[in-house]
Amino acid sequence: MEIVINGNVIAVPDDLQNVTLLDFLRDFVMLTGTKFGCGVGLCGACTVHLDGVAARSCQTYVSDIINVEVTTIEGLDQTSPGEGLHPVQQAWIAEGVPQCGYCQAGQIMTASALLHRNPAPTDAEIREEMNGNLCRCGTYDRIRRAITRVAQEA
Amino acid sequence: MEATTKMKSISRRRFLKKTGWVAAGITVASFGAFPVVRDKIPALPTFDAPSEKDGLTWIQILADGRVRFYCPRMEMGQGAALGLTQVVAEELNIKQADIDCILPDTDHTPPFQMTVGSQSIVNFFDPVSWAAAQLREALRAVAAEKTGLSTEQILDGRSGFKLPDGTTIGYAALVPATDVIITDNRLIENDNLKRYALLPTTKHQTIGQNWLHHDLTAIVTGRMAYARDISLPDMAFGAVVQPPSFGAQLVAANSARALELPGVLGVEIDEAAGFVGVVASTPFILSEALDVLDVEWQIESDFGQEQIDTLLDVERLRADDNFTHTLDQSGDLEIGQQSARHRSSGRYDTPFAAHAAMEPRSGLVWVRADKVEVWCGTQDPFFVQKRVAKILDRKVEDVVVHTHRIGGGFGGRVMCQASEAAARLSAKFNLPVRVQWDRAAEFQNNYFQPGFSHFIDAGVSQDGFITHWDHDVVSSSILTGLAPGLIGKAIDLATPDQGTTRGIRAPYEMTNRRTRHSAIRTPVPINAWRGLGSAPNAFAIESMMDELAFKSGIDPLQFRLKNLLANRARLAKVLRKVGDMSNWGQVAIPDTGRGLACAVYKEETAVAVVADLTIDHAAKTIKVTKVCCAQDCGLVLNPHQVESQIMGNITWGCSMTLNEQITFAQGRVEQNNFHLYEPLRHGSSPEVNVALLSPPGTPPAPVGESALPPVPAAIANAVFAATGYRCRSLPITYEDIFAETG
Ligand code: FES
Ligand code: FES
Repeated sequence: MEIVINGNVIAVPDDLQNVTLLDFLRDFVMLTGTKFGCGVGLCGACTVHLDGVAARSCQTYVSDIINVEVTTIEGLDQTSPGEGLHPVQQAWIAEGVPQCGYCQAGQIMTASALLHRNPAPTDAEIREEMNGNLCRCGTYDRIRRAITRVAQEA
Repeated sequence: MEATTKMKSISRRRFLKKTGWVAAGITVASFGAFPVVRDKIPALPTFDAPSEKDGLTWIQILADGRVRFYCPRMEMGQGAALGLTQVVAEELNIKQADIDCILPDTDHTPPFQMTVGSQSIVNFFDPVSWAAAQLREALRAVAAEKTGLSTEQILDGRSGFKLPDGTTIGYAALVPATDVIITDNRLIENDNLKRYALLPTTKHQTIGQNWLHHDLTAIVTGRMAYARDISLPDMAFGAVVQPPSFGAQLVAANSARALELPGVLGVEIDEAAGFVGVVASTPFILSEALDVLDVEWQIESDFGQEQIDTLLDVERLRADDNFTHTLDQSGDLEIGQQSARHRSSGRYDTPFAAHAAMEPRSGLVWVRADKVEVWCGTQDPFFVQKRVAKILDRKVEDVVVHTHRIGGGFGGRVMCQASEAAARLSAKFNLPVRVQWDRAAEFQNNYFQPGFSHFIDAGVSQDGFITHWDHDVVSSSILTGLAPGLIGKAIDLATPDQGTTRGIRAPYEMTNRRTRHSAIRTPVPINAWRGLGSAPNAFAIESMMDELAFKSGIDPLQFRLKNLLANRARLAKVLRKVGDMSNWGQVAIPDTGRGLACAVYKEETAVAVVADLTIDHAAKTIKVTKVCCAQDCGLVLNPHQVESQIMGNITWGCSMTLNEQITFAQGRVEQNNFHLYEPLRHGSSPEVNVALLSPPGTPPAPVGESALPPVPAAIANAVFAATGYRCRSLPITYEDIFAETG
């Protein structure tokens, strides 16, 4: 089988169809921007887009993603018009969100999917959508500011 | 004497050569005291604080005029490298784009102090500033030689100097193509060395600016390489069987079934070391291989939470009137008690806690005949270097640790056990091997914050002054928490642990006071966790202050100001400031409350916070909605970075107060993932409002853990304001409050 990751067609070896998308990305495609945090769907560090919708790659098996486009943090900038980084990535830099940064790929993937679906989320909607993405460094307040910045600049 | 100096010079020059330091460019090098890698047995963490001259090995100017800064701090989100880069820029009159700030490997610089205890700016500001200033003056001397002018005629310019004729000369033009080491005799005497970083803040060009961290773009694009992200061609993948409980002894292991699995290259069983590890050519077979490894353990200890609680029960020790240390004593408690108009006493407990950093640790190691390379994230790469050398029985200098940004440290990443396992496997199978911990391993196999148990009896006089303060606290030693058995016990008897007792002295006037402490070792491995004892200790002290204020009918802010020690003027200022910011006072809305608390972290950073919370009866939750924080941490190199640290501490404080608790059963940790140990989530996180106070002329004070201590008490005090229920034990849950108040 084949799957499409960031616009590239990747052939999946037979013996890897039953691994998680997270392991496949990190250890086969060598796209390591998507992170392992818990392995059981509790932290959001592994968030990617499946057809533009945020999904936990540790809870998704490669065999499940037929006819679905996978976008990872490495390919996010290609999903926005124009040159340069995705507006969410730009806002993350402008607000200086990351501390250790380990959770931030997942945060950005969840936030960009949210803004795609709902370009002007309320504070309550942001909190609800982002609730599955843990950040041990405590960047939540800055994340809200960055999401609000994107919503206002759009 | 002569001979010694000469030997040091040679080894230092060799060191610089070897590391490519002086390939082309100017390094100001001192041939004086040079910290050598000590081959200590056992391997110990790197404790020594830097001296000024250490700074010389960190900063170099390259042939193109750019500055290379091997920042001697490990990066885990605290961003100390950024503030220190600004210090380099301040001294050298350069822009951020002119500096390559590099996270050093162990062969880039001599050993430096491990990155712990919020010391990065406090201890490193001075040597970095001094060394950068020396480099600037060395360059000025070169400019003087080149132009035939005196150094006084060479004025500062941007990335270079201005000459009297109005022309400029850039640093690039001053660096010869061949390397130059400027030696001791070119160093400027301290009295004559201008230090721009030490000028008043109004004169600063870059210090105090909100530079953004140089790693941000890599982080937001997923290109930042954490240890887990590193791979080598042809590397193998390793995994380790984790012991089922603390101290379990390996009896036997059978590898037959694992060896039959496709891709499994081998199994290493070392009974003496208690090690069972598997190596495979593919990572995808590892979990199955671990499942079929037949391992027999002898359980050494099956203790549970009750035993631990009994050991650390302050009332048990009070009943025996038996404490190891009296930390301070003055006046007469009985006289104080008699003069008290209002009295309060209570027991305060805080639980064991885990770091729960988002990145489970990982190590990649390649053992070869001439060299051992390690790739990992650690708060002390020189400690990892020594430990790996010891395990492999190699010379320390054979081992190079390549360092990576750490996905959260908080004190929990001094060791990198995954690297040690990878080293064993690589040595055995002659391949580069990567070992990654999963979440359960991270919870089970690290060290912990110990539980604390306090008892305080205190009183207030008719006119609102504290009459007495009788405070007993039991916990385990933290800084020496990993010292083995009898040695640990001996240490506990000899001296109170500086980490456990951090912040135990309340900043208030208390003529009649006594603070006693015992450290008791449990089977649980203990070591640093964010803020060490400071948050548990402030929780007890600042809760009791609230109780006393309430009993005496005095506003909690006024009560603190009234009783503050005279030498706590900076704390008084942050208290007043947080009062202004928060518009202090209770708001008469049902099911909401506000609480206040303050602390001085490491006797240096003054912090006060006000927490607002709401009780949601439908969802049965307590939610902190807003936290205001005023902090005085002296000179601020980068306000954005300091605010981020404060936000992080406040989130951490809410989390430890409302969510976090590690418990033990059958000799192991009961929590193995975030459903059982759930750090505060986004939906529950407060809005954070920060004010920084920085009195003129004050040096930088600790930041990375400072705002944490007052948070738990502020929340508990807010719960009291909202419900009338006094929470004296963490974590605070909705059920606890409403079960008890009916
Ligand atoms: S790793 Fe997938 S949710 Fe945590
Ligand atoms: S930035 Fe460190 S976990 Fe979020």
